Amino acid sequence: MKTRPVSTLALRFGPFAASLETPFAALVDGLKRLYPPRSFIPAADAFYDFRVAIAPGRGAHRWLKPQARFLLDGESPFKPLPADQALPMFEWGLNYAIAAQAHQYLVVHAAAIERNGKVAILPGAPGAGKSTLTAALVQRGWRLLSDELALIRPQDAQVVPLARPINLKNGSIALMRAYAPDAVFSAETHDTAKGTVALMRAPASSIARSEEAAPIGWIVFPRWQKDAAPRLEPWSRAAGLMEIAHNAMNYSVHGGAGFALLADIFARAGCYRFVYCKLDHAVAAFAGLAA
Amino acid sequence: MSDIAPRQRIPSCVQWRDWDGEIVAYNDRTGDTHHFADLAAWLFRKLAAAPASAEAIADAAAGEIELPARIDRGAAIARTLELFARLDLLEPAGS
Repeated sequence: MKTRPVSTLALRFGPFAASLETPFAALVDGLKRLYPPRSFIPAADAFYDFRVAIAPGRGAHRWLKPQARFLLDGESPFKPLPADQALPMFEWGLNYAIAAQAHQYLVVHAAAIERNGKVAILPGAPGAGKSTLTAALVQRGWRLLSDELALIRPQDAQVVPLARPINLKNGSIALMRAYAPDAVFSAETHDTAKGTVALMRAPASSIARSEEAAPIGWIVFPRWQKDAAPRLEPWSRAAGLMEIAHNAMNYSVHGGAGFALLADIFARAGCYRFVYCKLDHAVAAFAGLAA
Repeated sequence: MSDIAPRQRIPSCVQWRDWDGEIVAYNDRTGDTHHFADLAAWLFRKLAAAPASAEAIADAAAGEIELPARIDRGAAIARTLELFARLDLLEPAGS
């Protein structure tokens, strides 16, 4: 991967701002493709929640296979990755930074989308199809609040938008290119720990509403299943709360207040399990949910 | 030594919700969250409502909860109380 003199960027996403220093040209170009111009802020104007660097690897190894290191406040929490993975590494690293530090929110590993003023939270184990489903729904009328980390504000139990690029993997990339031909995608990165990955730019309409938090109307646990007919069925709220607590990155930090927050949410929101195979069926099912 | 059966209860440090017959409970002492259904949910509800001894619970269970015939009611209650104790969800309530 080509390098050039270190660039310094300042990026705003949702309620956060981050600075990034990097010499990797493709990373800077990739970010400019995935984030709209309004996300880039004058470096001198910002208070940064996260100070990030994506730096070249060290040691003799770097001459054989260039590497990239993720640094957060000068510390390196991960092993270096091949330099051509710098863009997904930056996005994954931001997720790590938010989960590790943004304790003013209950941070849940889940997508969040909104329609008609209510948010659907979509937790999902790896392989459940959460990101693919989210990518499809935000191309069909739902607003993207988050693909990966739902930020729940304890004061009012509303979800704060964090509309960043959507992570797609393997077969989902071609699927979404066909499903949303006008969407903007990053170049594909191969041979990552997750296979081939690409990022899809968040819809402009979602980014434009990045300061509009909304209450949770539904918690839906999706699962992609080959050849399955779409099935959206109510599920135990107690079981749902346990799953969300398990998926919350900082539930233990919030303690009893975190439980009370989730209990309040589950007392008012619908809790469902959703099995699907085809995206059009899923879009129809969710439209019915929001009607 | 007293011959009065000790009564136990769910301590006040436990927050809980009762939804559709299932209990979800957060124990502030341990930081753990638990999910109980069926007999465990009934027993939790009983001990949260008022302190009770194991004997009193067994008597109440006979009239209030149905279990499959193959399950020994008294043994099941004893096992569930042991579970609650291990999870630090019980405290003595005095006589």
